[in-house]
This record gives sequence, structure tokens and C-alpha cells, in this order.
Amino acid sequence: MISLKWIDKWWQTMKTAWSNYMTYRYNLFLQVVGPALVFFFIKYNLWNSIYDGDLELEIGGYTLSSMIQYHIWGFILTMLAKGHHAVDLGQEIRLGRISSYLIYPFNFWEFHAASFVAFQAYQFIVALISLAFFYYTGLLGPLNIEALALGILYAQFISIFWFILQFATGLMAFWLEETWILRVILEIMTAFLSGAFFPLEIYPQFIQNILQYTPFPYLTYYPIKIFMGEELSLWAPILTISFWMALGIILNYLLWKRGLKLYTAAGM
Amino acid sequence: MKHYWEIYKKFVSTSISEATSFRLSFFLVAIMDIIFYLTTLFSVNFIFDHVQNIGPWDKNQLLFFISFMLAIDHLHMTTISESFWRFSDHIRTGSLDFLLLRPVHAIFSVFFSRFRAATVFNGIVAWGFLIYYGNQVNLPFLSWLLLPFMVLIGMNLLLVIEIILSTAMFWIVEGAGINFLRMQIQQLSRWPDFIFSKYTRRVLTLVIPISLVGTAPVQFLLDFKNYQYLLFLILFSFILWAFLLIWWNYAIQKYESASS
Repeated sequence: MISLKWIDKWWQTMKTAWSNYMTYRYNLFLQVVGPALVFFFIKYNLWNSIYDGDLELEIGGYTLSSMIQYHIWGFILTMLAKGHHAVDLGQEIRLGRISSYLIYPFNFWEFHAASFVAFQAYQFIVALISLAFFYYTGLLGPLNIEALALGILYAQFISIFWFILQFATGLMAFWLEETWILRVILEIMTAFLSGAFFPLEIYPQFIQNILQYTPFPYLTYYPIKIFMGEELSLWAPILTISFWMALGIILNYLLWKRGLKLYTAAGM
Repeated sequence: MKHYWEIYKKFVSTSISEATSFRLSFFLVAIMDIIFYLTTLFSVNFIFDHVQNIGPWDKNQLLFFISFMLAIDHLHMTTISESFWRFSDHIRTGSLDFLLLRPVHAIFSVFFSRFRAATVFNGIVAWGFLIYYGNQVNLPFLSWLLLPFMVLIGMNLLLVIEIILSTAMFWIVEGAGINFLRMQIQQLSRWPDFIFSKYTRRVLTLVIPISLVGTAPVQFLLDFKNYQYLLFLILFSFILWAFLLIWWNYAIQKYESASS
């Protein structure tokens, strides 16, 4: 039941998580913003080198300017939608720290969901600063406020899906010594198949056809297109991601139930 | 030297015993690396469906470069990468004290003590691609002979740059961020220097010479006339190792030893 007391628990947990993040600010910056920034920097240079200054050339329907904009929006989307929460979660299980959650009047998932919201707040601020920077450098072109608002909303929706996925990889710590491996596999596969490396139009046609039946394009390619102001039907992405979210929630529930039976509470 | 080799063999056998105790993780690490190799090579392949050249290189030349970097990455993953992640824990918890007490140089003890057995066999995949694309670019006989040596000297430069960077962990409480920075530096080395603009290229060649890790050996292997880059690489390797020894000794003096 939602009550004031319950809301207060969430609020206090979010505040604690925020303080924890801010204690190691530089560390957080290097972990979260650094990789996305370098990824963008490499892509920016790579595509400039590929187009070789030819402003008229189109590759997969993209001019140099629109290709750079695609990658800028990709960077903003990464900031808005992707967390790295499973790191702590896996460690807590492996080191036996979840014992305390089992007696708290606040669920394990609620604690991590509240921390995730605090983390999203940090990512949101970084995303807005980045957006302002790219806008004023002129790299982003004119902003479409309606598309921006829709894109931000959709990115928040995607971030919940990412949280559920990462939660599942974290829960695998009941069975695995190291869960970072699963997380990295998930990230590499998703980056490759979702259009984070480059727009899906660059892929061979048969791969584009196959990807249509998977949730991957809806994680990066579609939201970038929304940010870029293309009018797309949102029914398919929302229904597809909702379906996968529901599956993810069921999976997490089962993993948690089964995992707890194996839990040995290391260090107790 | 023999003393170090004997110790290294013990490090390897201990790491193998530990890694094979967790078989699923062992298997997943191997899978993860192969996925990384394939996605990297496929990405470049897809781009070349739309263009003939990137900079001065055609598809096979660039894929040879990428394969060369994958071979370095494989060697790096297998021999040292895990030690960097443990290093920040060692400093934070004070367990570095025990490594410093060993009768070998601390850098060896810290950065070569973890061997990732799970990725050893991925070498067949990484080197398979390297040999395949080496064949595609008609590598001369001498280049084939020099190829393993070039992978080693490229990796040596990457290693010294990474250790210099990681030494900064002595001054900060949480070192994980430095490890992420180190990984980003690695990312920059995975592309040939000509993709970067003139000034970035200068920085990545002369200030943080990460661009030389792959570009110098590959340029030389493709055309022996490009020996200047390789000389730079060798020169920088010597300078940076000398700097590292001074920098490391200075950092050790600042180490506060959390456990004591």
C-alpha cells in the first residue's frame, strides 16, 4: 500500500544513494560519463574520417551532419537510459550483505529501485548539461522541443527496462562468482544490435529484417530517431518493451526466490 | 630472470586452479571475448559495405589492424588485465602490504600475479583472424616473422601507459574510476591514428602515445618504409618505463597502508 511512510522510505533511500554517489564524484564521472564520452569521441572522429569532409555524401541515407547528430543523441540517450547498478547488487549478494535487507522493512528490490531513481537524477543532470553543450557548439542543429520531451519520456521508459535487465544479471550472483561477465556480454550484444555503434541502415538488409523481430532496435535506434524528430509509431516499441519488461520482472522474481534458497549469508 | 620466471609459473598455476573452480564463469569469460572479437570485426565489415576506403586504408588493411589489436587485447586480457582491477582493492584494503613484502619488484608482484586462464584458448580465434587478414594484405615473409614480436612491443607500450595511469590510485580512495579511464585509453588505441584530427593525433602520439600501440607496428608490417613510427614506439617504451620506475617509487612513499 502506498502511504506517506512508504514514500518517506523511498525518499530517504534515494537521498542516501545520492550522497553515496556524490562522495566519489570523480569516480562516478569516470565510470559513467567517461566511457560514453570516449565512445562518442571515437565515433565522431571515425565518421569524420569516413566522410573525409564530403558534406554531400550520404551513407545509409545519412550525411556527415546527420550521422554526427545520430551519435550525439546516442550519447544523450546513454546518459538518460543506461545505469550501471548491477555492480553493487552482485557484490551485495556475493559478500553476504543482503542478510540485512531480509530483516529490513524495505525490500531488496525497493532499495535498489530507489537507488536507481537517484542515479537517474544524476544521469539526467549530466544529460542536460551535455545537451546544452552540443546545442551551443552547433553540432546538434535546431532543437525540436516536442521531440525532445517525447524522447526524454521514452528514454525513462527504456531506463526501467535496463534496470530490470541489470537487476537480473546482478541476481545471477546467487549462482556465479562474477556477474560482471554477464553484464559486459549484455552490453556488447545490445550495443551491437541496437544501433549504438552506428545506425541500423548501415547493417546488411537481412540483419535489419531479423532485428525488427527483437527488442534491440527499440533500445537505441528508435529513441534516437524520436530525438531527431522523426515521426514514428510508438505502439510497437512500447508494446514490445513492455512485453520484455513483464518477462524480466517474472524472471527476476523467480531468480530471487530460487536464489534465496541457495544463499549462504557469507560472513554471518 | 629465472627467479621471476619460476614465480610467474606459480602465479599461472594458482590462477588456473582458482579459475577452474568456477566453471560457468570460466566458460562465460571465454564467450564474452569471442563476442567482442566478432562484433568488432563485423562492425568494420558493415561500414565497408558502404565505402571503399577509410583514410588511406582499404577494408583488408583496416581489418588487419583491428585483428592486430585483438591479438594485443587477447594477450592483455590473459596476462594482466585482472591484476589492474585487484590493484585498487589492494590499495583500499591495505593488502598491498603483503605484495610489497615479497622478494621481487612490486610492479611484477602487483601486475603479473593474476593470469586469466579462461581466455587462453581465445588466442586461436584472435590469431586466426590476424593470420587470415595478414594473408589478405599479402604480408611479406619478414613481416610474418616479426608479427609476434610486434604484438609484444605494442602490448608492452600499452602496459606501461596503463601502469603509469593506475599508479594514480595511490592518491585516491576509490580506484575503480581510474580503471574505467584506463579502459577508455585502450579504446583510443583500437583505431588507427589517421581517424583522428591533426591535433588529437599529435596528443595521442606525443603526449599520451597510445596511438602508437597499434598504428606503429601495423604501419611498419605493411610497409617497412614506415619505420619512424616504430622507432617512436621503442623510444617511448624506454622513456615511459624509466619514468614509471621513478613514479612508482614516489607513489609507494605516499602509500598509507590501510591495514597497518
